[in-house]
Amino acid sequence: MARFPGRRAVTPRRSRLLRFAVLAGRILLGVVFIVAAGPKIADPPAFAHMIANYRLFPASLIHAAALVLPWVEMFSGIALVLGVAWRTAGKLAAALLVAFLVSIGVNLARDRAVQCGCFDVHGPPKSHAQLIGEMRMVLLRDVALLGVAAFALAAGKTKEEAAPGPAR
Amino acid sequence: MKFWREAAGIVVLAFAAAAISNATAGRERKLAWLGRPPTAAAAERTAPAPGSAATPAPPPSTEPPFSGGPAPSGQLPAIPASPAGIAPHPAQPFAEITSAQAKALFDGGAVFIDARRSAAYREGHVRGSRSISVGDSDADAKVKAFYDEGHDANAPIVVYCSGGDCEDSHELARKLWGVTFDNVCVYRDGFPDWEKRGWPVSRGDAP
Repeated sequence: MARFPGRRAVTPRRSRLLRFAVLAGRILLGVVFIVAAGPKIADPPAFAHMIANYRLFPASLIHAAALVLPWVEMFSGIALVLGVAWRTAGKLAAALLVAFLVSIGVNLARDRAVQCGCFDVHGPPKSHAQLIGEMRMVLLRDVALLGVAAFALAAGKTKEEAAPGPAR
Repeated sequence: MKFWREAAGIVVLAFAAAAISNATAGRERKLAWLGRPPTAAAAERTAPAPGSAATPAPPPSTEPPFSGGPAPSGQLPAIPASPAGIAPHPAQPFAEITSAQAKALFDGGAVFIDARRSAAYREGHVRGSRSISVGDSDADAKVKAFYDEGHDANAPIVVYCSGGDCEDSHELARKLWGVTFDNVCVYRDGFPDWEKRGWPVSRGDAP
């Protein structure tokens, strides 16, 4: 069995479990991003409005971001699900998650209630308290998703290291 | 190197898909690549956009309040003066008003404008209100068209959206103030409050 300095031996059973966990995490992340991208692609003006409400981005870039970002989400999600260039897609997804976390975090710190626009660019009208509560839940959810992405990328790398390479 | 190559590929694909999707989108879904969203629009008052030479200037506010009789032929009826005591405020883009003030203005025949998305407007709106969604790419064109109708710049105009933290009505109010309407009132609690109080509501595309 493969053995690396400072690491426990990767037994075949553990390797199978790891592979399954990486696959599950990859597909979960991919599906989440595909589902999130749909409403934004369907209604770019509403998504642009939501981005503008965060009050964090240069006004001249908001429309371009509203048009392109959902497609980056969509293609990253598809790549993760299909396993094509999935490590790159996973890193892009993680970068997007970090950007969402920062945006929501800054507005929470300013006590500015904004509608996330993550899965629904319309949404019914809500009170300040409801929106703040929702933002906190979104923060937790995105941290969890970031954890999934980090695990899939790290565990996937471990899997590759475990596979015997050509002798040098 | 491989990461940057693949990342660039995803981004290029995204740009291409966005361009095709936007080019084939309907008017309500289209977005100008270099436009500025309504919430980022300058709050400075701008001169009315120069239209054709035949574009009329707004009528001077020397007319007495509309008394309810027939309008002179060839002219739009003047918007009634505010029964809710809202005076014109040319130095600021809007004045926030309460539910009671909004109802008084409604009973007095003031113009109501719904700043929400068209879909929300169709589901229900203040009876008689018109729709100018700040989220649409043609919001500025609609504001100009409203200006071109020749409404009294000092008569109250009530703008509303979804209440709470919704700022669409404030953004629309700034646009209207920017084309010289000096008495724009933002109904702070918006349509949910209006509907909750059982006041007149319409559904569909017609006012």
